[in-house]
Amino acid sequence: MDTTNQNAVYYDPQRDVSVPGPTQSVTNSEPHVVQSANSYVPCLTSVQHDYNAAQHPNYYYNYRQAENDSSVQVVVQSPGAAYQPLASFQNSGSYVCPASNTYYNAGTHQMAPGYATSSYYYYHQNNALADGSSVNNHAQSYQSYTPDIAQSSNSLPTSSVHYQQHYNQWPYYYDQSAQTLGGLAVAGSTTSITKAAVVGSDYVHPSDQPPPPGTTSWKTDFDNSASPTAQAPGIQGYQNQYAPKATVAPVFQNQYVNNTAGISTFQNQYASSEYRHSSANYNQLPLSIQADQQNTCHLHGSSSNVSSANHVSENSRAPGQDSVTSNVHMVNKLHIQTNPQIAPGLPIGTPKVDKSNLEADSSSKPAYVCVSMPKNDLKAVAVQGGSEAVMQVTGSFPVSLRTYVERSLARCKDDAQRTAIRRMLKEIITKATADGTLHTKNWDIEPLFTLPEIATGTNMTGTGNDSSPFSFPSSRRSPSRRTKSRWEPVPEEKVANNVEFPKQSAKSNICSSLEPTKRTSNSWHLSKFVPSCQSPLSQFSQRSTKKQRTGGGASLTENGNVSSDSVKEQDLTKYYVSSITIANSPEEKKRREHRSMRFERRQGSSSKSGSSLQDEDATANIYTRRALSLLLNRSNGDGAGCGLAVEDLDWDTLTIKGTCQEIEKEYLRLTKAPNPAEVRPEHVLEKALHMVETSKKNYLYKCDQLKSIRQDLVVQRIQNELTVKVYETHARLAIQSGDVPEYNQCQSQLKRLYRGGIKGCNIEFSAYNLLCVMLHYISKRDLLSSMASLPKEAKKDATVKHALEVRSAVSSGNYVLFFKLYKAAPNLNSCLMDLYVERMRFEAIKCMSKAYRPTVPVRYAAHVLGFVGIDEVREANGADGLEECKKWLRAHGAVLSVDNNGELQIDTKVSSTSLHMPEPENAVSHGDTSLAVNDFLSRAS
Amino acid sequence: MAAYLSMGEAHRRIGDYLSRVVNAISSSDGAALASLISVSSAPGSTPLSDALAAFPDFPRLAGDRFPHLADLLVPLLRSIHSHSLQRFSDAYSSFEKAASAFLQEFRNWETPWAMEAMHTVALEIRLLAEKADRELATTGKNPDKLQAAGSFLMKVFGALAVKGPKRIGALYVTCQLFKIYFRLGTVNLCRSVIRSIETARNFDFEDFPVKDKVTYMYYTGRLEVFNENFLVADQKLTYALMHCNPQSESNLRRILKFLIPVKLSIGVLPKRTLLERYNLLEYADVVTSLKRGDLRLLRQALDRHEDQFLKSGVYLVLEKLELQVYQRLVKKIHIIQRQKEPAKAHQIKLDVVVKALKWLEIDMDVDEVECIMACLIYKNLIKGYFAHKSKVLVLSKQDPFPKLNGKPV
Repeated sequence: MDTTNQNAVYYDPQRDVSVPGPTQSVTNSEPHVVQSANSYVPCLTSVQHDYNAAQHPNYYYNYRQAENDSSVQVVVQSPGAAYQPLASFQNSGSYVCPASNTYYNAGTHQMAPGYATSSYYYYHQNNALADGSSVNNHAQSYQSYTPDIAQSSNSLPTSSVHYQQHYNQWPYYYDQSAQTLGGLAVAGSTTSITKAAVVGSDYVHPSDQPPPPGTTSWKTDFDNSASPTAQAPGIQGYQNQYAPKATVAPVFQNQYVNNTAGISTFQNQYASSEYRHSSANYNQLPLSIQADQQNTCHLHGSSSNVSSANHVSENSRAPGQDSVTSNVHMVNKLHIQTNPQIAPGLPIGTPKVDKSNLEADSSSKPAYVCVSMPKNDLKAVAVQGGSEAVMQVTGSFPVSLRTYVERSLARCKDDAQRTAIRRMLKEIITKATADGTLHTKNWDIEPLFTLPEIATGTNMTGTGNDSSPFSFPSSRRSPSRRTKSRWEPVPEEKVANNVEFPKQSAKSNICSSLEPTKRTSNSWHLSKFVPSCQSPLSQFSQRSTKKQRTGGGASLTENGNVSSDSVKEQDLTKYYVSSITIANSPEEKKRREHRSMRFERRQGSSSKSGSSLQDEDATANIYTRRALSLLLNRSNGDGAGCGLAVEDLDWDTLTIKGTCQEIEKEYLRLTKAPNPAEVRPEHVLEKALHMVETSKKNYLYKCDQLKSIRQDLVVQRIQNELTVKVYETHARLAIQSGDVPEYNQCQSQLKRLYRGGIKGCNIEFSAYNLLCVMLHYISKRDLLSSMASLPKEAKKDATVKHALEVRSAVSSGNYVLFFKLYKAAPNLNSCLMDLYVERMRFEAIKCMSKAYRPTVPVRYAAHVLGFVGIDEVREANGADGLEECKKWLRAHGAVLSVDNNGELQIDTKVSSTSLHMPEPENAVSHGDTSLAVNDFLSRAS
Repeated sequence: MAAYLSMGEAHRRIGDYLSRVVNAISSSDGAALASLISVSSAPGSTPLSDALAAFPDFPRLAGDRFPHLADLLVPLLRSIHSHSLQRFSDAYSSFEKAASAFLQEFRNWETPWAMEAMHTVALEIRLLAEKADRELATTGKNPDKLQAAGSFLMKVFGALAVKGPKRIGALYVTCQLFKIYFRLGTVNLCRSVIRSIETARNFDFEDFPVKDKVTYMYYTGRLEVFNENFLVADQKLTYALMHCNPQSESNLRRILKFLIPVKLSIGVLPKRTLLERYNLLEYADVVTSLKRGDLRLLRQALDRHEDQFLKSGVYLVLEKLELQVYQRLVKKIHIIQRQKEPAKAHQIKLDVVVKALKWLEIDMDVDEVECIMACLIYKNLIKGYFAHKSKVLVLSKQDPFPKLNGKPV
């Protein structure tokens, strides 16, 4: 159970990743994280787990898993171990993360610290990879944040810690295999860049075999525990040091610890213990890359890193939800924004990753399957991940690139690239040693990040994720040839080139990193990627402080080597850039923020309500199916350059099946791939429809509920009688409330469904359609075509006949007939006619005042114009149609007079010149009275 | 057939065809080129298509011989081949590729020598798309080729609707676009094309070829019928009728099919001989009802030809003739009354009208008839007023039933 849970957790990140394009990188990062536990990834994952467990156990699958894991394993120890690494980090001070420092500052400024931290982590990881010196900064930032985050819960970290440890071990292990200690950190970073697919394989291994490091961590609790224990003293010390601060931020600490551990002593321990595991893993791994352990390690590390980023984001969300602090909430919100974006991208990314894996090794497929198992976790992570999307965003650029590079490296097995990576690692280490300089540099950079900028940055990152996910798959294959898919964002490649990141220094760093990658990277090879990533980092460091230059120079040289390989990366960067640019616009940002906030709220509730292990499994299956189908599509596509067009997808395999059991659900427009846990299956939807039908609440509520039902139907691709019934119900309600836009939506869907042969009240609705077209559209062509398309039997139907008569009454201006028909309208025809009554009456009074002389009795007008004799109930209640008519006539400028018999008459001659349409009393400047606040409040109450 | 063809002969035929195409291009012979690239008019089996069937490696042959025109020639041969095999969807796809290549070349040619060929391409792509859509529809696939042809023709239009000598060919492409849009039912897409044709100041509309002008006027006239813009529609359709080749009866009929309802709505009735000559007898009863004031006949005629009228889009126009029929009916009552009782001829009792309608088996109550009378007055079909108290329609003594005289109701 524990192992599976863990796996699931890992998977969740992958899933998340898979959903949006950027997610690919993210997923990769997860596995990578595990491997590169040293790096930030593990931290992130651990954090997430912690959050989940502590705050939203019910909510997240991960959470439960995390708990289980923690219980099984020596959670405490693992955290302790994690802490130790942190301590070491602090000592070293020179981790990779100058950017992280800046981020932290930003986070403190505006955003919730938790959020900032999460995002920073991601960056940190990247940064760390790029520059060893940045590590210190990260640690510092973490510390600072920890107090804020403390609320999230210390207890949680335990589970996370375990994970982290495992992860750390793996990464360490990999790192060791790949390189020396110093190299390890770098490796982790590089690994983060590597493909998610690799990660997936890793995961699989664990599931298959307890010993494998990635998955093993769960099973290999013994090993982990052992290693942690060994490290434990150091960890404890760390805890002591940080305890006050870290209460809330245990997760972060853990992560850092892991990172530090990886860097410092842990590496040795892990290297020894884990190395074996890793070797075992390699053997087990389907990947044929065993020969290139380093590469594989890198890949794993990269994947783990990415996944960790996802986890982190998720974690951050979870904490945000749980945590009471405003800061945390802020963070969550930010995360949320990013999340939706990421989510969409993730699914795509995963499939791609898989593909790449497949390409690399035929054996990778099984790995993929295994990955599916972790999906549950990933899911949960994804839910949580929303908050941390920002982090991902910032980090995602480099991470994704790295992942790609790593993948490519794994495929190519280029020794040169590896060596370059190694060099980079060494350089990073050297930088880290020069902690003081790094710190100073980071701090220097900090001022650049103002709070608003940070926020924007997060937003931007989020957007980047969104766009990137879509773009990723295609770009990977063959950017130039790929067919355009509607779903792709607007990523203008040109834009990417032009884009600059003036706002944030962090951004600039990213950009710089990206740019080098662009130049250098032709392929996605890991080696290339890593160097590219490093190079940006190095550049960044150089900017921040020239002292670091020595390290930077080395990195640059490496970059140059790497650059030759990677070409495709350019595309990625372009996408990112474009996404960033899009995100930059303040309105966009605001909107996104808003949306994300709503999103998170909802997520929290939904996750609480509906997650069970079964659900998890189901979701996992769905995800696997999805991934598989995507994968199949990929493979079918062949490298021939045919992009993965949306149209080519096998949607049947991608269709999700909802597991939510709640009948009531608020409508929220999806901003990411739907989460099965939040989607209601058909039988629940039936209940929901019944609930709406019998509900006594107002239209706004019903409309909202029906829209959410419709959404659930759509995402599950349910098209049957129920679907028709839902749309019909909604259309009727909309007609009754005069909500024409909503009615039109339903009508167009109904038309499609009826055409598909699904039974319903199609004749009734063709009558409505006729009336609607006639009364609201000027184009006679629409009317003609809808009349021409009426089936023969429909013309015999009373409702349709009535509609046709109304039409002819309107076209001939026969107001008497119109109001006669109005009185005798079947079904809801009268509701639609209501919308035309005012116009008809005015036409009629104009006609009457011109045609009649000298007078027309008001009584007659009231009769003819439908003021009396229509609503007997109202009249019985004392409502006087005649009075109403008088009022209406006066309001429209008619001149009334009393004749000799005391009968009120309309003076037609005078009236004919004075008639006018009155200004609507409830007119609002924006033209839509339904948007008026007062009206809204009165209706909502 | 093809099996009997020797490889050498097939090779020779294909090479011959290719060299003719290339020669036509190099010698700027638009007419020859146009005849060479018309795919859809070819019968199922031609010497060339047989050769293509016998020599499956023709793409390479074309590519090797004329590499600079391979983009055009290879898909063109493929298209001819697919078309001869009745694989119209494939033929369309290939032809669109060839057409794109041709358009690319066409843009680079400074003189419009290839206009005829360009027009052939525009026509061919539409015809092939229609065939392909029919094929796709029968196999249950989404018939989207005509739409694709529309967007390709928009590109062609963009290449032609520029300053310079090529503009003269723009109207032809416009008409092809109209045909596609009318068939697809997306007539609103016509608007942008019309705007660019009619707002161009550097090119007089009259300078376009007559045949294109007639087609253009026909379609824009139809659009105006949809918009119930009868005066403009009358103008455009009349222009089309006047300039149409008198020999092409079917085109004249098409124009009249829309012009007659438009004329009816502005009070101009056609002679029966015209209807007979152009086989437009579905309008005969409508015309008769207008002459007689026979509302029942009008309704019957509309009912009988409802599908036809709805499809062509004149149903609503004809329906609006009802008021004119009422007018005619009241006028007849007035004439009878004048003969019987000249003093009170200008006062028509509502009961009389109701009774007349009853004779026509049209059941309307007094209120409705009163409303109709009011409408007639309101719309200037009757001069006078209605006295509600006494339920009497009082006609003006001067010209109580004004003629429309070319003005719509």
